[in-house]
Amino acid sequence: MRILVVEDEPDLLASLAQALREEGYAVDTAANGDDGLFNAEGADYDAIVLDVMLPGMDGWEILKRLRKTKKTPVLMLTARDQTRDRVKGLDTGADDYVIKPFDLAEVFARLRAIIRRSANKTTNVIVIGDVKIDTAARNVTLKEKPVDLTAREYSLVEFMALHRGEVVTRTQLYEHLFDENEDSFSNLLDVHVSNVRKKLGAEFIATRRGHGYCIE
Amino acid sequence: MRIFKSIKWRLQLWYGLILVAVLAGFGFTAYQLERGRQMGRIDDELQRRYGILVNALRRPPPPRGPDENRQPFDRPPPDQFPEGGPQDQNVRPPFEFRLPPQIAGLFDTNNPNDFYFVISSRDGEDIARSANVPQVLTNLAASPLVEMGSMPETRASPDRPPRPRAMGDAEEIYQQLQSGETIRVGCSIAPELKELHRTALKLTGIGGVILLFGLAGGWWLVSRALCPIENISSAAVKISAGDLTQRINLAEAESELGQLATVLNSTFARLESAFAQQKQFASDAAHELRTPVSVILTQTQTALNRERDAESYKQTVEACQRAAQRMRRLIESLLALARFDAGQEVLKRQHFDFTSTIADCIELVKPLAAERGVKILIELEPMEFTGDSERLAQVVTNLLTNAVQYNQPNGDVRVKLESSGGLAVLTMADTGQGIAAADLPRVFERFYRGDQSRTGAGNAGLGLAICKVIVEAHGGMIEVSSRENAGTIFTIRLPAA
Repeated sequence: MRILVVEDEPDLLASLAQALREEGYAVDTAANGDDGLFNAEGADYDAIVLDVMLPGMDGWEILKRLRKTKKTPVLMLTARDQTRDRVKGLDTGADDYVIKPFDLAEVFARLRAIIRRSANKTTNVIVIGDVKIDTAARNVTLKEKPVDLTAREYSLVEFMALHRGEVVTRTQLYEHLFDENEDSFSNLLDVHVSNVRKKLGAEFIATRRGHGYCIE
Repeated sequence: MRIFKSIKWRLQLWYGLILVAVLAGFGFTAYQLERGRQMGRIDDELQRRYGILVNALRRPPPPRGPDENRQPFDRPPPDQFPEGGPQDQNVRPPFEFRLPPQIAGLFDTNNPNDFYFVISSRDGEDIARSANVPQVLTNLAASPLVEMGSMPETRASPDRPPRPRAMGDAEEIYQQLQSGETIRVGCSIAPELKELHRTALKLTGIGGVILLFGLAGGWWLVSRALCPIENISSAAVKISAGDLTQRINLAEAESELGQLATVLNSTFARLESAFAQQKQFASDAAHELRTPVSVILTQTQTALNRERDAESYKQTVEACQRAAQRMRRLIESLLALARFDAGQEVLKRQHFDFTSTIADCIELVKPLAAERGVKILIELEPMEFTGDSERLAQVVTNLLTNAVQYNQPNGDVRVKLESSGGLAVLTMADTGQGIAAADLPRVFERFYRGDQSRTGAGNAGLGLAICKVIVEAHGGMIEVSSRENAGTIFTIRLPAA
């Protein structure tokens, strides 16, 4: 899962990015509106955390322009708790909002929810054969037994599971699992896929030669 | 009673009372006029009949036959006198009295309500009387009442008949003639009294109806007149209930109530804008506080999520410190503004050397200026000033910091102090990027930050607002002019009091 955080307060941006990375997300950051819009339009994010008050272009403007091309789920961070601000945000195309000051746990929960909704899932639990993925607790069980996955492996499984039945290309996987600072030319992805197959069974992820991977 | 405290009811009550008084006065006058007219007519008739009777008594008998030429008050022939009668002047022989027919026609002796007469001799005996004399008056001549009061005291001349007076249900003239006889001419006024009674009833009835219509009309008028007041009060009630957007409907702006409504509306408008400003201020203040609180919350929650090394804890603590300092600055600014607004901030006025105070401020900003390669050019006239030196130094430092911070590298800041027309004029001109024309009028507004790309996080947009309240507390004014990409000039004018 790859997330863009647009926030102008450096200390807040740093800690949000760190916390999200520790949750297993790939995180890109932008400190002003123009960079934020550039990033949001340039890559396929699973979700965007967007502050309303930004130097340069503000959050509303970014959202308005982004919605012309992309349907990326957006979680707004707002310091204004007046109803009209929230209504304006939702009407402009935000998927949800969190009011500052917020609890990290709430931000994570809302992020999970908007990502799940964008994949048309209604619960946190995805069942694929003997494999059960709990996206809230971020754990995976095989025949009711917990499977120990690294954060990156979990992200791979979750992303594939949310796009079940679709062929997911390697590029897509790189885009969603790694942030812009990571070297995407390595064979890290193959290592992760191979590790997941060892833990959940070789047939769990099928390879479509020349296209990518797929969970049936 | 609550009802009498209502203006509507009080007006109605007064109106009712006045209406009753006017109607009563009018009715009474109308009644009196009618009565006077009726009585005057009767009195005229009475006087006429009285005159005729008196004339008939006085006139000598026309020379006619024994039967025909009887005078109205013919004495009987001398031979009919009682014994010794003629000699005795005190004893009058009884009259045989007949009215001439043309006079008798004036008295309908059978109608009890018509005119009647009684003619009495000097002794009080009746000489003649009409048949319709009311029973009560039959013995009146002999009654003590007559003896005491009713007897006329003056013997009026026949030319001027005496004034009639009321005797019970009758109007009468009662007069003693010079010859000694008494004439009583009267007329029952019972029908007239009855008629007058009916008139009074009619007048009362009509008055009552008019009063009812008047009261109804009055109620309508009062309601109509008070309608704007009710509008005003209902609008005021709604406004006090929290909806400040309500206004009084100004249907008649020209009337007195319209003027009141205009005044109230403008008060409401000012109240609304003051409330809106207050709300905006509180919301902005909360907004400014939320970001540093978010920083602290997120930083600490992330740090506590798992075990970390000392360096990352240190970073967290430093970030928290920055957030706390930002909140402190904000709270101090808010407090200063609130105190100036409430008039609680007392300026510590003292005589001080303005020139050296400004020089001190420049010293304070110099390290920042050196860092940015900005030159500070000084042109200070020596000047003493009375005011709060600390607060004014705060203004100068704030403006200088802005001038350096938003300057271009290797730009310069010109600080000039001069006295002009009794004012201390301080100008600070920079060669920075300037302020957009659209932002210029609003730069002194609280929390206004103009182009946000220029202002770093942590700048709440209160600095210039505080400069403004400080300068204005000194009775001075602060102005700004700017050209984009050329520079900005702040001018402070302080009265050298």
